[in-house]
Amino acid sequence: MFIPTILIISFVVFFIMQLPKGDYVSSYIARMQAEGEVFTQEDIAALRAQYGLDKNWVMRYFDWVFKIITKGDFGYSFAYGRPVWSVIMDRLGITIAVSLTIMAFTYLVSIPIGIYSALHQYSPGDYIFTAIGFLGMATPNFLLAIILMYLSFTWTGDPLLGLFSNEMLQEGIHLYNFGEFLQRMIIPTIVIGTAGTCGVIRTVRAQMLDELSRQYALTARAKGVSEATIVYKYCLRAALNPVASGLAGSLSSIFSGSTISAIVMNLSIQGPVLYEALKTQDTYLAGTILMTQAVLVVIGTLLSDILLAWLDPRIRFERKRS
Amino acid sequence: MSLWKKKKKSDEDYYLASQWTLMGRKLMHHKLAKFSIVLLAVLYVLALFAPFVAPYGLNDYDSNYKNSAPTKIHWVDENGKFTGPYVYKMTYVNNRETFKREWAEDTSEKFFLRFFAKGREYKLFGFLPCSRHLFEVEGENGGTGAKILLLGADNLGNDLFSRILYGSQISLTIPFAGTLISFVLGIVLGGISGYFGGAVDTAIQRIIEVLTALPTIPLWMALSAAIPADVPVPAMYLSITVIISFISWTGLARTVRGKFISLRNEEFVMAAQVAGVSPFRIMTKHLVPGFMSYLIVNLTLGIPSMIIGETSMSFLGLGMRAPATSWGVLLQEAQDITSIAQYPWRLIPLIAVIITVLAFNFLGDGLRDAADPYK
Amino acid sequence: MEEKKIENDGKDIVLDVRDLRINIEMDEGTLTAVRGVNFSIKKGETLGLVGESGCGKSLTSKAILGINEKKCKTTGQIVFDTDGRGMVDLLSLSPKGKEIRQVRGKQISMVFQEPMVAFSPLYTIGNQINECTRLHITKDRKKSREISLEMMKKVGIANAEKRYDQYPHEFSGGMLQRALIAMALVCNPKLLIADEPTTALDVTIQAQILELMKELQKDLNMAILFITHDLGTVAAMCDRVAVMYLGKIVEIAPVKDIYAAPAHPYTQGLIGSVHKIGTKKEERLFSIEGTVPLALNLPPGCGFYERCGKRIEGVCNVKEPELTELSDGHAVACHLCGGCQGCAFGANSGEEAKKDAE
Repeated sequence: MFIPTILIISFVVFFIMQLPKGDYVSSYIARMQAEGEVFTQEDIAALRAQYGLDKNWVMRYFDWVFKIITKGDFGYSFAYGRPVWSVIMDRLGITIAVSLTIMAFTYLVSIPIGIYSALHQYSPGDYIFTAIGFLGMATPNFLLAIILMYLSFTWTGDPLLGLFSNEMLQEGIHLYNFGEFLQRMIIPTIVIGTAGTCGVIRTVRAQMLDELSRQYALTARAKGVSEATIVYKYCLRAALNPVASGLAGSLSSIFSGSTISAIVMNLSIQGPVLYEALKTQDTYLAGTILMTQAVLVVIGTLLSDILLAWLDPRIRFERKRS
Repeated sequence: MSLWKKKKKSDEDYYLASQWTLMGRKLMHHKLAKFSIVLLAVLYVLALFAPFVAPYGLNDYDSNYKNSAPTKIHWVDENGKFTGPYVYKMTYVNNRETFKREWAEDTSEKFFLRFFAKGREYKLFGFLPCSRHLFEVEGENGGTGAKILLLGADNLGNDLFSRILYGSQISLTIPFAGTLISFVLGIVLGGISGYFGGAVDTAIQRIIEVLTALPTIPLWMALSAAIPADVPVPAMYLSITVIISFISWTGLARTVRGKFISLRNEEFVMAAQVAGVSPFRIMTKHLVPGFMSYLIVNLTLGIPSMIIGETSMSFLGLGMRAPATSWGVLLQEAQDITSIAQYPWRLIPLIAVIITVLAFNFLGDGLRDAADPYK
Repeated sequence: MEEKKIENDGKDIVLDVRDLRINIEMDEGTLTAVRGVNFSIKKGETLGLVGESGCGKSLTSKAILGINEKKCKTTGQIVFDTDGRGMVDLLSLSPKGKEIRQVRGKQISMVFQEPMVAFSPLYTIGNQINECTRLHITKDRKKSREISLEMMKKVGIANAEKRYDQYPHEFSGGMLQRALIAMALVCNPKLLIADEPTTALDVTIQAQILELMKELQKDLNMAILFITHDLGTVAAMCDRVAVMYLGKIVEIAPVKDIYAAPAHPYTQGLIGSVHKIGTKKEERLFSIEGTVPLALNLPPGCGFYERCGKRIEGVCNVKEPELTELSDGHAVACHLCGGCQGCAFGANSGEEAKKDAE
């Protein structure tokens, strides 16, 4: 299941990457010519050969996959002038850390709010959370970033751009500036996490309402079980089912959201690198980033399957049978 | 007696009403959804009549009005007498300390607004030659008169209000076209997958799996990077639509597949098969109508993400590009904080985006509640 | 009526429902689902509550436990002979409070009609039965497991030790209903409410379950409120029967009287619609025309007026008949019962009726 999916992903990614007209060499030459350099046909052909762009794309794809499998070599980044993998490793750790933080934020905030909203349906609190939820889903997150940065700028004089201050970049992250790092995480977390959070609030609320009206909740109530037990032992566990199956999707939407927001907020995660790579047709770099993200989502799917099986014995049962 | 009869009639109405009538009735109970329908209708009518409502053309910029603040409309003169709407000419002084243009009204001359007056020529709906406009400023010619910039101007001196209207023609229709494409793709591929099963099913499912594993925006970015920069506007429009619909059909296809799998073993399908009805007819006549309402709800709820998607892409310069305009294109000017601090009206297109997305969300929510037979 | 009953059997009464009314607020208006219901149940007695779907019988039964949805506004009195505290009006207790929770499951318990959805699919059957004993009997895990297992065996679940750790989806419908009964009876309740406990089951299993309930009733000496739309099972199970129509009890009588001399046209219709052995082929089963009207903004008069074959225009659609005693323990709410107190055939009310009709 896992490996064929990844193979197809790699193929689809590579196919998309070669879709734009031209290649890195042509976009490079266009830029250089704008600066007044002159290239002969031979120069161009030599450049193509140097980057391995003279072969047809299917050949290049098999080359690429073959090298990944045999040597763990993901190709060469034309723009950075070094192997793709080392470019990615620069930011992979921080990208995963940011994504996980946002995910934790999403679930820690949305599940309690969703439960509250369901238990107090049509109360002022429910209306307020619903309104915030809808607004959060309706605002494109890059614009939320601009608004929050603007607010932060007018109040504190610092737009909190980027994840690290200049000093941090020089000295690295230590215990004494970790607080500042966390502070700088606030806006990105809110910006990227809001849409997902609002979505999960809506799901949990709807699911909880659904589960609370189920017959088994009534049975439990009829045997004298307290409301808290009904909510947490019975309904919540059932209501979390779609949340768990949405785990991979939320990871994917975090990658999505963080790409644009990171460009706007100048965060040193993979988003902006991908954006630049796409613009300069740095095929292998862009392709590898897209693929790592997809693979992480596939891993997320596996995790959510495991979580689902843990939550719901019926799913375990079906697995055993098949 | 009459009471009973009336009562009986209303009961019968209730029992005999079709699913769609019931859904419509329930939807009308949902106040937010009702309000959203009206709001969306207004937005779409405005988009349809954009050249009539907009006082200026798409690229009628005037460098005298670069980054102009919104024009104030006055109703009474200095003596407090009602005169009808008029505007003053806007002039600016460059503030030497902040490098900011400071706008002021030149109160020496009043320019009255005229309604339904003849002005710039345009083609309504793309083919009806027209020259009437909803409103324009009297005596405006060649930049010497006053201009009416309801929502200010951009950094070229284009009227933002007019451009939001023209932008809505793209921003409001792309999601619809995209929805249509994903609707067809979703039903066809999901239907084939669910009805026939086997190898076809496995193949389609694998493709869907791959597409859902790829994060949306990066994928959109990659795909739209493939659109050459110099394509004409209609081709650009079409490509963006296809790219945006590329993602949302997968969810729909999964749903349709699930429904088909659960329905294909039902007796009524078996009966149709035994009677020799073709698979295509079984699908279109017997299966799809059964969960049409569900699909429509899903699609309505999918529109907001398409609007946001188009806005995001255009914002990054990967979607619609000049000379075409959309809300996302307009928002490109709002990319950095200092520009918003100086010209806050640049965020106005965002309000248009938020309102539209909210309206579709509420409508979708209302439809979902209305379509749910268990509530 | 009520006073009299309490005088007669005051000591033996387990449950006494007085003027129970349930209104449901809906978008379309207020639905008067239960419109003044009175009945009582004695120790060890089985009272059948019969009616079509939507007549309010399930709402009535859930109201006793206080487990209706919030939107159901309930008034009246539900007096129950609680352990230790004597007669208590259950409606006066907070529906989420501790007092009522000590009654639920322990003193009054309920068996629901669809066993397949009555258990949470996420926990084992044992866990869910055990929850009851741990709440009401003992905190000791081992002991409570023993008690639960014993009850599971008692209701005829074979291989109970293994079944204890299985999930609901591994059970058949009949087995689940047995488990549900085990869960309801595990704390030896005084009153069991059985809400159509056999409708979702096969006929053979239906009979087994009914037999089981009767046996256990004898063992535990509990009262049963048996809710059903099936007059056949009523005859097998009940001592007395209350027939409900459109939120009201239209006839209440000992089970023999109901079959021998049904007084209300609705009851007559119900009994006429049951298939009897010995009917000729050509004879068609009697069916009551129409459906139960929606209880929204009901017009005046008898609720059964529209569908009644014996209706009297100008009387039945003007004044609502009251429940009137015909003989000992047999009461009916119908204008046709004749000669009773407060009957529409009386001179005064007849005049009134005509006036109203004009």
